[in-house]
Amino acid sequence: MPTSVVLSRFGQTAREALPFLSALISVFLGAVAWPLPAWGPIAPAWGLMALYYWAIHRPDIFGPFSVFILGLITDVLGFGPVGLSAFIFVGLHHVLVRQRRLFVGHTFAQLWGGFALVAISVNLVQALVVSFNQGQIVPLVPLGIQTFLTLSLFPLPAWVFIRLQRTFLSLKD
Amino acid sequence: MPFRFRMHSGRARVTALSWRLFVHRFSLVLFLALAGSFLVVGHFRPVALKDARLYVMDGLSPLMDVFSRPAANFDEAVRRVTAYLNLRSENERLHEQVQRLERWQTLAAVATHENKELRTLLRYVPEPRATYISGRVIADTGGPFVRTLIMTAGARDGARQDMAAMTGDGLVGRVVEVGNNVSRILLLTDLNSRIPVMIAESNDHAILAGDNTGHPKLLYLPPDSSLKPGDHVLTSGHGGVFPPSLPVGIVTRADSSGVYDVQPLAELGRVNQLRLIDFTPTGGALNGDALTGDALSHKAPPPLRVRAASPSGTKTSSGRVDTP
Repeated sequence: MPTSVVLSRFGQTAREALPFLSALISVFLGAVAWPLPAWGPIAPAWGLMALYYWAIHRPDIFGPFSVFILGLITDVLGFGPVGLSAFIFVGLHHVLVRQRRLFVGHTFAQLWGGFALVAISVNLVQALVVSFNQGQIVPLVPLGIQTFLTLSLFPLPAWVFIRLQRTFLSLKD
Repeated sequence: MPFRFRMHSGRARVTALSWRLFVHRFSLVLFLALAGSFLVVGHFRPVALKDARLYVMDGLSPLMDVFSRPAANFDEAVRRVTAYLNLRSENERLHEQVQRLERWQTLAAVATHENKELRTLLRYVPEPRATYISGRVIADTGGPFVRTLIMTAGARDGARQDMAAMTGDGLVGRVVEVGNNVSRILLLTDLNSRIPVMIAESNDHAILAGDNTGHPKLLYLPPDSSLKPGDHVLTSGHGGVFPPSLPVGIVTRADSSGVYDVQPLAELGRVNQLRLIDFTPTGGALNGDALTGDALSHKAPPPLRVRAASPSGTKTSSGRVDTP
């Protein structure tokens, strides 16, 4: 097989893996011990932001399997119930893919608004399941701050994802 | 033959396409069922998933190490700049501390001599030295629901389940998961943390229970306890999990309604290095050396940073705690 073909196929595979890799990096960034006081409990859900963006914009190369693996890694890195994030992520991915027409091609504000709905819903579901699992209601203040930070900082990773998509994943590729 | 080969290839392709179509159509159900089964198994038989979790955690640890390095370097740079800016005030504080500690040193020398003589008289069997393992924190995980850290010391370095994890300031938590390369520390503020403690001033025993806030609560204190804000909380050593007399925190609130808040001595929101104490109930106590003069003479002792023995600060190392 000619070298150019091999390189072309490698490039294509790398491009198709980009959403998953960027989402994986986002999950790691969410788990890193940042040198900020009391950051851990309120660290934004970077992984959720990546999932939301790629599920809406490139569901063809960011499928349920990728989402499932991301969820499992999130669960393993955290100390929560294994399968919880995976379950929520897969379900959320399905809903987002079904409803992506509401967000694609519209203003960024609409995309942001949709994310607000998603982030609040996901955190509420997680809080309910963890409370049920622990047998007591989890403190809601850190959860509220984390949700607020997740919503506020969404434009930052969204800008990175948009740049990545325009640079490497434009439709002509 | 070529025709037969093409037939076979075509059939295989049709089968593969059908399989992909099947997976695509039922992927939602498939992955939801898989995730659900993990949840059910994890709830009823947590041990079943523990090994798999540790295996993945070990596999991801090099990546986590890479990702955490810039953050750790940045923190170190900030600390250095801050230390440089505070050089004058820090120097004055240290001079004052040296003067105070010199007085303590005289008292300690007298007490040590007396202690040695009394031990000889009683034919006291000295307790074996405790050992420690130090490592760097590479992940602060769990989000708003769980308070855990992941550090670079695993089974290969001698880390074991239930070891006490400390900084130079005080107790941080205990080891709950041990992989080959990394360990997970459950912080004493976590909802599931329960640590037997005692009050240094009154010798009252209690349980320090985390509640996912920054101030764990004291439970099961004696009814006649005369606890007051400022009292020092130490590990009691009951249960044989932790060594006795490790500094834990300071009582910050003692209500008449029976609510007792404790401020951990260790800065749990900003831990870079950790030290695991290897303690065995048969005699690995620390002979009180972990209870430093600072822990008892101040309401909030200045931080004593623990550095990993490894120069790079990334690999774990172990060594002996020098006990007098």
